[in-house]
Amino acid sequence: MRPILLSGHERALTQVKFSKEGDLIFSVSKDHNACAWYANNGERFGVYKGHQGALWTVDVDPNTVLLATGGADNTIRLWEVKTGKLLKTWEFGTAIKRVEFSEDGRLLLGVTEKRQGQLSTVIVYEINPDPEAEQTSEQSLRIVCDELPKVTVAGFSYLSKYIITGHEDGSVSKWDAKTGELLQNVFVHDADLQVTDLQWSQDRTYFITASKDKTAKLMTVDELEVLKTYVADTPLNSAAITPVKDYVILGGGQAAMDVTTTSARQGKFEARFYHKVFEEEIGRVRGHFGPLNYVAVSPTGTCYCSGGEDGYVRVHHFDPPYFDFKFEVEREKENQSRI
Amino acid sequence: ADEARRNTANREIVEQRRRLLDEWLAWREKTVQYLREEREDLGLATLSLEEAAVKEDDEANGKVVE
Repeated sequence: MRPILLSGHERALTQVKFSKEGDLIFSVSKDHNACAWYANNGERFGVYKGHQGALWTVDVDPNTVLLATGGADNTIRLWEVKTGKLLKTWEFGTAIKRVEFSEDGRLLLGVTEKRQGQLSTVIVYEINPDPEAEQTSEQSLRIVCDELPKVTVAGFSYLSKYIITGHEDGSVSKWDAKTGELLQNVFVHDADLQVTDLQWSQDRTYFITASKDKTAKLMTVDELEVLKTYVADTPLNSAAITPVKDYVILGGGQAAMDVTTTSARQGKFEARFYHKVFEEEIGRVRGHFGPLNYVAVSPTGTCYCSGGEDGYVRVHHFDPPYFDFKFEVEREKENQSRI
Repeated sequence: ADEARRNTANREIVEQRRRLLDEWLAWREKTVQYLREEREDLGLATLSLEEAAVKEDDEANGKVVE
């Protein structure tokens, strides 16, 4: 099927997310706006205006009632999805690089940038899922990263038990989500090449990290063990795990100004599909004119979207061959389980 | 002889994939079981709110993804 182009942003996309039902797509951009779109036809559902700087991050709660955004104006904002009403603004000393709700939507975390003599922190707020309710100004947890390099990405594990963070130096850490105690810090990516993304499996027992070291890693929450490594030929900005099929999708590419070689083709602005278990590349999707800054998969497993440096969101609904493709051993396994 | 070598190499790749798939499925089974028990102990539904959101929608629309 032909991709649907979501054109409405005026500058580079920084993050895209699906609602948990898979029917809406939320996008944030350097143009200061967050947008919501219908995943099936690409029509715009709404715009969330108010931020005074580039937006870096967006997330939506499991009920698709509350939307959180964060960016360069040093605020996290909470919006009502349906009406676009601004419900709460939390202010900080530096930019917000990441926001994420817990699986039950009762907690919201934010990552503040290390800058101007301020350390990088992960902060947590308890969230009231009712859009009419007053939201708290009190942080329920604040993790200050004084001994580890700055945090680039973070999220809550299954049961909101742990907070997993990715760092500027290529390491990944696990923290007790109640006490903020550091439990583990492991080096998984090449030294000093930052972790650029962290996305969960549906049950949040494992996750995928993307890195500037041109690899993505599938890791367990419980041991922070690397289960799989996906090797690409370009720095990665994002990686997603597909439900239904055992694939992962990687996105990245080098911006023109960073490409020392001559040809634009060197940018490698493609979404790459790998088999999750066998680590083998199985396909690529072209289309963007600049690096892919984010890739997200619908929780229903029927489509994915990518947000590019070129200012476009591209939505691809999967064709039957995508679902039909199977390795011989996968088919064999299915036949066995049928008997 | 070339073909024999190719066949052996192919067989090895298939064997390797079979092993990887078995390992993966075993790990998933163990992990899913553990998570289910944890949720049960806490008196929570089997699926988290976000997992349930996908399931409900599928049923409501009568969607079949595969």
